[in-house]
Amino acid sequence: MNRLNYVGNPRIQNVEGAEKVTGRAHYVGDISVPEMLIAKVLRSPHPHARIVELDTSPTLKVPGVKSAITHADFVDHGRFGWPVKDAYVLAYRKVRHVGEPIVAIAAESEAAAQAGLEAIVVRYEALPVISDMKRALDPESPPIPETSPTGRHNLCNTHLLRNSEPDPLLAHTEEADGTPVVFQATYSLPHQEHAYLETEGALAIPEPDGGVTIYANNQSPHINRDNAASVLGLTADQVRVIQPPVGGAFGGKDDILYQSTAQVAKLALLTGRPVRLILTRPESMVASYKRQAMQIYLKLGATPAGQLKAAKAELLVDSGAYASMTPLASWRATMHAAGPYRYEAVHVDTQAVYTNNGYSGAFRGFGNTQAGTAIELAVDELAERLEQDPLDFRLRNALRSGDRTLTGDVLNQEVGLIACLEWVRDRSAWTDKRAAYAAQAADIQRPRGIGVACYFHGSGLGGEGVDFATATLKIEEDYSITLTCGLTDYGQGSHTVFALLASETLGVAMERIRVLRPDTQTALDSGPTVASRASIVGGNAIRVTAEKVAKLLNLAAADLLGCGPDRLIRDGEGYVGPTEEPVAFEAVVDRAREIGLQLSAQGRWQVRPIEWDFKQGTGEPYFGYVFGAQVAEVEVNRRTGRTQVLHIWAAHDAGTILYPKGALGQMYGGITQGLGYALSEAFRFENGVPQARDFDRYRIPRATEVPEIEGTYIEFPHPDGPYGAKNLAEPVMIATAPAIANAFYQASGHRVRSLPLPRLKA
Amino acid sequence: MHLTFTLNGETIHLDDIPEDMLLVTLLREKLALTGTKRGCESGACGACSVLVDDRLTRACRTKVADIAEHTVTTIEGIRGTDGGLSDLQQGFLTYGAVQCGFCTPGMLIAAEALLRQNPSPSRTEIRRALNGNLCRCTGYQQIVDAIEAVARERNARQAK
Ligand code: FES
Ligand code: FES
Repeated sequence: MNRLNYVGNPRIQNVEGAEKVTGRAHYVGDISVPEMLIAKVLRSPHPHARIVELDTSPTLKVPGVKSAITHADFVDHGRFGWPVKDAYVLAYRKVRHVGEPIVAIAAESEAAAQAGLEAIVVRYEALPVISDMKRALDPESPPIPETSPTGRHNLCNTHLLRNSEPDPLLAHTEEADGTPVVFQATYSLPHQEHAYLETEGALAIPEPDGGVTIYANNQSPHINRDNAASVLGLTADQVRVIQPPVGGAFGGKDDILYQSTAQVAKLALLTGRPVRLILTRPESMVASYKRQAMQIYLKLGATPAGQLKAAKAELLVDSGAYASMTPLASWRATMHAAGPYRYEAVHVDTQAVYTNNGYSGAFRGFGNTQAGTAIELAVDELAERLEQDPLDFRLRNALRSGDRTLTGDVLNQEVGLIACLEWVRDRSAWTDKRAAYAAQAADIQRPRGIGVACYFHGSGLGGEGVDFATATLKIEEDYSITLTCGLTDYGQGSHTVFALLASETLGVAMERIRVLRPDTQTALDSGPTVASRASIVGGNAIRVTAEKVAKLLNLAAADLLGCGPDRLIRDGEGYVGPTEEPVAFEAVVDRAREIGLQLSAQGRWQVRPIEWDFKQGTGEPYFGYVFGAQVAEVEVNRRTGRTQVLHIWAAHDAGTILYPKGALGQMYGGITQGLGYALSEAFRFENGVPQARDFDRYRIPRATEVPEIEGTYIEFPHPDGPYGAKNLAEPVMIATAPAIANAFYQASGHRVRSLPLPRLKA
Repeated sequence: MHLTFTLNGETIHLDDIPEDMLLVTLLREKLALTGTKRGCESGACGACSVLVDDRLTRACRTKVADIAEHTVTTIEGIRGTDGGLSDLQQGFLTYGAVQCGFCTPGMLIAAEALLRQNPSPSRTEIRRALNGNLCRCTGYQQIVDAIEAVARERNARQAK
């Protein structure tokens, strides 16, 4: 392969950066059109209630109110959801969580809309609230869903993993020598709120042909379009979803946007006017879905010498009022529950349950953040019982190339886990600090500690769905190049990745490339933008498409230079034949047109299908994995009880790094969300009632709370990724919370089995 | 009320403005300057940061009456001497400080306010100055890198 000009070039900048630093980028809330109505939504104050009366007629008498809609305005009451169709665009008969939308109205102004909301007549009959996951499983407890997807009451879904028989191994190690080598504990991980800085929003503009155009800050425009069309009773081509710049998503802008989109679309169709809905921050906090809370029981067995032998895990997952992505996220949690270690046998059993604690769905890490936290806390405790250094213990048991994962399948790829562990060990001066902090006097005011955690993360969707993306590429009249892909850039930099991959493959300057934002009318469906798949799956689709056009250009260049295409070499953008002077890219494009070649193409790339037997709990869940490790150093202030993270070292094996600035930004950002999960970010429900509605009660990390992070990418290329790239945006957060909690233990002597860390006041 | 103030270098006269109108509403809805964002409307996120005179100010917590006769600078008023990007704007791009970009206008305003007040801030001082501006994407590090580098460049230019 030629030397790469764009892939991995540290000078590459975000292609959407200039419009963002100047304030010119128009997010959905910045788009205002003449005649536009303002939408507002009546939301349930109750975690669980029957709606016994609902009358919107008084609201229509309020001056300025143009329309009010309920479930009755949608096909099949606006029922939607995937993989379980259990949610509603507007509540039908019951509300199952605080913040559930009931009525949407459109009015001439904010004030009129507010007055309109207050005029709605609604009466509830409170139902018993289920906030506790175990209680949800009690057959005596009231049912939450309309129909149980499992046929078993409030059980939303189950998963299992079966790899050999752990029981005999766990029993045997106990008996053989009496050493405490079987360790078991239950960990409880809280809900977490995405807290993207831009709240959810959608603008619908009715079209003359009876269709509707929607600008929405969603992650997956094609899914949004299909969903809106089905609840509105329109065909897919009557609904056009355009994606403006999105102010952060992290997994959080799917289902809630499907609701909001369908609401404004219906209001626009009824009033014949544009309608915009922007959620307020309190509304966003209460109404949006969360990271699932989980209770994770782990039982681990190791030889006295410190070799892990077997693991058992039981996961209880809080889906909340609706399934959303929980069936998939709980599957990913199941596939990672025993961590990136070598075992002889592993069993995992997972149950996801309905409760009235809001509802939960996709969030960065997608179940592995919780599962990865639990196992890394447990492994630390086990290493301590074995009187082993926690980092050595991990090195001893970490997966290497050719090993079998917890599911029993063989890792036929290079595995960078050991390299990551060694890097964070050496850079953090682990051995010295660990010894120094172990020798601290017990009564010092600000004890310090250092802790480690590592992780693995299956690439792409795995058994979660068909993993494909589609792209189009066209050389325009002015020799610029237009790219589309249905996968969205909501801040993670995928458009920059797409542009540099096209530049690299075509051998042209990046300035020529324009990446269009997804528009369901021009971009082809690429499935959901989740699971950090934009760079890998989308990137491969771009590469495949660009290769097609590059081939056409080679034919034209060969024709122009009078040689075979295999004799061509590139000089910058130019083409050089065996004897001739270089010819410019433009001349080659012109020649291609003269010959009559069509300089546009579309390409599709699909991940090799994986095989997972959901009934037996066996198979190969992912086509590959990424790995990483982090070390955190903390200081606990005994007077204030606060924990300050002093430093974090992070190494992630992400294959070839395509866009280095962006990759580091993803790492720092992911680590910061993990730090929040460790220190302050539990989103609490008291008897189903959310306990935070703003940034004062729900604290995300501020600049002074985030330490300097020293991060690196260890590049073990993956043959399936574009130019050897692997995914990184999600997994980088997994190790942070457990590394901090493990460091907190060394500093304070206080083991935690739940997050966030307690405030230990002396 | 009648309102006169200087906005991004221009004198603005407006009639019939309710006194209790918020500055963020005036900017975004009356003047179509949407670079100033709303992230919380409760003073907690800094997305609506503007400069009033040289002071970092939350437009969602400021009544228009309070800016009468004052000078307001929004992100739309930040540009380089050549009319292109300012050094801070360019620095944010060079150091990878922009992801979703929603916090970016407010961050740039906070950075500008800091450097006007303290031309050679340490990294800790930069972090302190950004404490009222939330960013959910970047983890702040590249933002701090950018501001630190721009401060250094400005000082080097001055020394010449
Ligand atoms: S919108 Fe003003 S501080 Fe958040
Ligand atoms: S870049 Fe997204 S909030 Fe800062």
